[in-house]
Amino acid sequence: MSALDNVIIPKKELPANVVRLGWILTLAGLALAVLSYMTDANRAAFNNVIGFTFLASIAVGAVFFIALEYIAGAVWTTPFRRVLEFLGMLLIPTLLMAIPLFFKLHDVYHWTHADAVATDKILQAKAPYLNEMSFMTRFVIFMVLWLAFYFIFRQNSLKQDGNKDQKLTKKNIALAAAFIPVLAISISLFSIDWLMSLEPHWFSTMFGVYYFTGTILTALAVTTYFVVSLSQKGYFFKGINENHYYSFGALMFGLLSFWAYIAFSQFMLIWYANLPEENFWYIERWQHGWEYVSIAITLIHFWIPYFMLVSRPSKMNPANLKRMAALLVFAHFLDLYWLVMPTYNNAPVFGYHELAFPVLCIGLIIVFFALQAKRFNLVPVGDPKLQRGIDFHL
Amino acid sequence: MSSTVLDYSKEIPVVEGVPSASQLDETIVKPINDFPQRNWFIGLAITGTMLGIGGLSLAWLLYKGVGIWGINQPVAWGFDVVNFVFWVGIGHAGTLISAILFLLRQKWRTGIARFAEAMTLFAVLCAVQFVIFHTGRPWLAMAWLFPYPNQHGVWVNFTSPLEWDVFAVNTYFTVSAVFWYIGLIPDFASLRDRATTTIKKTIFAVLSLGWRFSNRHWQHYERAYLIMAGFATPLVLSVHTIVSFDFAVSIIPGWHTTIFPPYFVAGAIFSGFAMVQNVLIITRKAFKFEHLITMDTIEKMNKIMLVTGTMVGYAYIMEFFIAWYSGNATELFVFINRATGPYWWAYWTMMTCNLIAPQLFWSKKVRTSLLASFILAIFVNIGMWFERFVIIVTSLHRDFLPSSWGMFVPTMWDFGLLIGSFGLFFTLVLLFVKFLPAIAMAEIKAVVPGAQPSHHGNGASH
Amino acid sequence: MEKKLYSINAIYHTPNDIIRAAKAVRDAGYTKFDVHTPYPVHGLDGAMGLKETKLGFVTLAAGILGAVGMISFASWVAVVDYPQVIGGKPYWSWPAFVPVTYEIAVLLAVLGTVGAMIAFFFKFPNTSHPLHDTPYMKKVSSDKFGVTIQAEDPQFDEKKVRDLLKTTGGEVEEVHYTEEFLTFKPNTFEPKFLLLLAGIALATSAGGYLYFNKVLYLPPFDWMVEQPRFDVQSTTDLFDDGLTMRLPVEGTIARGFMPYPYTLGAKADSVGKLLVNPVVKTAASLDLGKRKYLTYCSPCHGNFGSGDSRMNGQFPNPPTLHSDKVRTWPDGAIFHTITVGQNVMPGYQYQLSREERWAVVNYIRTLQRAYNAKESDLQ
Repeated sequence: MSALDNVIIPKKELPANVVRLGWILTLAGLALAVLSYMTDANRAAFNNVIGFTFLASIAVGAVFFIALEYIAGAVWTTPFRRVLEFLGMLLIPTLLMAIPLFFKLHDVYHWTHADAVATDKILQAKAPYLNEMSFMTRFVIFMVLWLAFYFIFRQNSLKQDGNKDQKLTKKNIALAAAFIPVLAISISLFSIDWLMSLEPHWFSTMFGVYYFTGTILTALAVTTYFVVSLSQKGYFFKGINENHYYSFGALMFGLLSFWAYIAFSQFMLIWYANLPEENFWYIERWQHGWEYVSIAITLIHFWIPYFMLVSRPSKMNPANLKRMAALLVFAHFLDLYWLVMPTYNNAPVFGYHELAFPVLCIGLIIVFFALQAKRFNLVPVGDPKLQRGIDFHL
Repeated sequence: MSSTVLDYSKEIPVVEGVPSASQLDETIVKPINDFPQRNWFIGLAITGTMLGIGGLSLAWLLYKGVGIWGINQPVAWGFDVVNFVFWVGIGHAGTLISAILFLLRQKWRTGIARFAEAMTLFAVLCAVQFVIFHTGRPWLAMAWLFPYPNQHGVWVNFTSPLEWDVFAVNTYFTVSAVFWYIGLIPDFASLRDRATTTIKKTIFAVLSLGWRFSNRHWQHYERAYLIMAGFATPLVLSVHTIVSFDFAVSIIPGWHTTIFPPYFVAGAIFSGFAMVQNVLIITRKAFKFEHLITMDTIEKMNKIMLVTGTMVGYAYIMEFFIAWYSGNATELFVFINRATGPYWWAYWTMMTCNLIAPQLFWSKKVRTSLLASFILAIFVNIGMWFERFVIIVTSLHRDFLPSSWGMFVPTMWDFGLLIGSFGLFFTLVLLFVKFLPAIAMAEIKAVVPGAQPSHHGNGASH
Repeated sequence: MEKKLYSINAIYHTPNDIIRAAKAVRDAGYTKFDVHTPYPVHGLDGAMGLKETKLGFVTLAAGILGAVGMISFASWVAVVDYPQVIGGKPYWSWPAFVPVTYEIAVLLAVLGTVGAMIAFFFKFPNTSHPLHDTPYMKKVSSDKFGVTIQAEDPQFDEKKVRDLLKTTGGEVEEVHYTEEFLTFKPNTFEPKFLLLLAGIALATSAGGYLYFNKVLYLPPFDWMVEQPRFDVQSTTDLFDDGLTMRLPVEGTIARGFMPYPYTLGAKADSVGKLLVNPVVKTAASLDLGKRKYLTYCSPCHGNFGSGDSRMNGQFPNPPTLHSDKVRTWPDGAIFHTITVGQNVMPGYQYQLSREERWAVVNYIRTLQRAYNAKESDLQ
């Protein structure tokens, strides 16, 4: 094991200026959000939905990748698994960010209006599912499940740092197997509740998969950003090689292609059948300026990163990886903006209201990461797969 | 929880023991050089009979026309399209194993990739025969299917999902065949150098194109393999996606639902793996490949079946939920009718075989039992066939107007062609395992312990 | 036959040895050397100093060609050459072209990559290489690793090469070849080959001819042509009169059909007084009349009604419509003549509807006015 001890850097705090930036962004975002709520509470609430689902994306996506590593027996992510474990902690601010929304449900979700439901047959039919009581119950159940799984994964992983017990890996594998079906159902219903029901008449069976794909892509992009920029500064271990970078790039490339596949399939089927009960959703997003946002999403979420990551050298280039990861995180924001805001206004709006939550989210990501990097090892030193992960070669 | 804990710091070996490269060659080439066993002939007799039944049905079909089938209004798509989708689905496992698992660097795929790819080709052939013959007058089909300049001044309709199918299935077959052949080239060269008779030697020399194991060639070859895998992966997704578009772009309740593309792809992988599992277990036993196709491989196949089976189950439930959530009365009717209508037995066969049966794979005991794996794989195949039956027949048999309701009853010719397609498939599989190396020799040699340099520092910027 | 030295080879037993040997040969400055392994060995490309393969560019080019080509072709078909409204969508429904475009892009990319690799990178098929069929090849195709240094290498020196290979631990062998073996080139214009080509061409044409002109008209392939139905103007024994075409039941009329009460015997002038022209002269009605006139009347009466068509002289001459008689006829008289005919002129009541006949009358009136314009018309 001494060979291993020579290469890894188990613990290193984030640079002070980064931490400071995190706090500044958090506080600035918080101030803007409060201001936004005070001046235009309705608009702020819609933006709050974007910020909340964005943060949930990263947190849940990170837990998904932890589970995936265990269940697939992947080794190349093992040295970097702590990044995912730290990001999963964002479940806490996600939970907090939902709280103001529960006071504003009435402004955001049309189906909460009893008078509207009384005159609307379709909403009446959905009432057993779409009502405030069951909405909140589901939210609590999902949060409890996600937090429980996350903390057990994390606990086992941290415990392994000390005792290097392989049984803990085995436990996490079993846990991961249980988590994946739970996640599949919970994230689908979560996306239906918080995003699809903004237009309570609209429905698409693909929607859960669409949000889930965006979720894991964003979590991966954030992870990639952290891994690449930290390893450039000498974190993790000595001798990080281009095979590690390549794997991150290839996975990102694969997932963004998959996202495009899902997005295009959903659009294509609704466009082709042209049923009025479905197509209005896309029509709303193709007029009054939303068409430019739609086109921008295809460019930012697919075409640009696709061609920037398609070649082999480009997947190994750290600067390129960082740029593309940042672009994809922004793309997910834009995607959520595109999903949520047409309900608020039939033309795209942009002002400090829209800036508040992105700034807050980015600040929170840095702050939560920094707080944990202070306390815990950045490399899972006790993981049996660590050596294989470091030696990883294509 | 069992007391044995795997050592996660070690890779699970792809091949049991440390066979030398020449031993590997011996094992793999043995079935080709030996006179076939008696069981092989018995198998060939059975599949040949099935093929004969299919041939007779086909001849009668050509003579009489598609009226001999059970199809009519409103169920105008019957066994023909059910079988087509079923076989195309089976055909997805091969490319998945050779391309996606290759990209994911799952080395355990090495032992099974070759014949999974062969099965892809055979399954796509089986599928293609149904689409060709369901056109009614296949001797003119070329004129409707391919865009070629003609004196009528007409072109095919590129907006039609059926035309997309023509492109997708042809591309898929071509690319899979190329992929398979490229993989076989080094093995043909090995067989050429091992051949004892001039005829064999000539055949293999031609097939190997003159391969001489040069590293200046390997370098391009490996990159080409990677590129092809990179293309085959989205291709395999696109093919079953386009098959799903055949249904989903329509406005038929039960067909028009946005989750169809990924749901069909998951189903295709699911059924394909089940079929590979069935053939795998028999081949492994018959040719004594136990140390090349390890129990670990079979267990992993079972795990993938569990995952894809659950994904398919997710789609079943999501469809049902959204049918209710949409508030669309016809949509909900179709789904309730599936579960409780005249074809309830098909629906519940599908549910039992596809969603419930694979859940047994949660148990490690079941996963590592050959018999259980084999039986459950058969269940999955049955279930996936019924899934296509449920999607196609139950969505059609209750038209929008109750006056246009009807039932679909298959005739003996429907069954004859179905049996024939199985006959064709298994006959080709039997011929394949006899005449070509069933395991990729060059690939498996590369993953045996000690096959690669012991450390990577040798100036390698690979 | 004189034998030439092709190369000096060495066989090694482990992957580590071959990597070391490849590096040694490369460091010694040889360029015409090669390494043969039964499977790709990691790190060998670097050890041999091979450059990154350029195959990816071929893929990219072929893929883009496929994508651009297919979407252009589909668009050209759908918009320019064969525009059809499908499902109420615009002609250029690009989302519907995505699947075919994608498939063709993949097809060309893969075929391009493989084709370029085999033909240009490998220069295959090549089954007559000096190394083929040597004991050396048989070893490396099974389980050994080999290095060859070719005699054409500029710094080839037999002794030095042997020493180098021996010091790296290889078992040294030689490969010789005959000039003829390599220089053999099949002759394209060999009579036998040409004969074969001609035979194939003939067989293909004959097969195509037989298939499209004979086979497709044999049962069962002709079953959609040969149908159990009666064609018009054929005979049948189903009815007493032996005709397949039947008259309507007596006393019935078709919907929208107004029976015309006058027959050929009635005088045009007298019937004409009883009929009133119900059609107002509008631009649309005159246009309709013009089109019908040009279709049905102009072959005899001429494009402008002067009776000067090609029929003139071959037939009882069709009369001009500008005669005083026709000009002074009431509208109804012309209508009656069109409806039932006159002399050799047949009636047109089955070709032209009532409105159309009146429209023709109006058009004839317009022609007459144009041919006999008054001073006042010019003002």
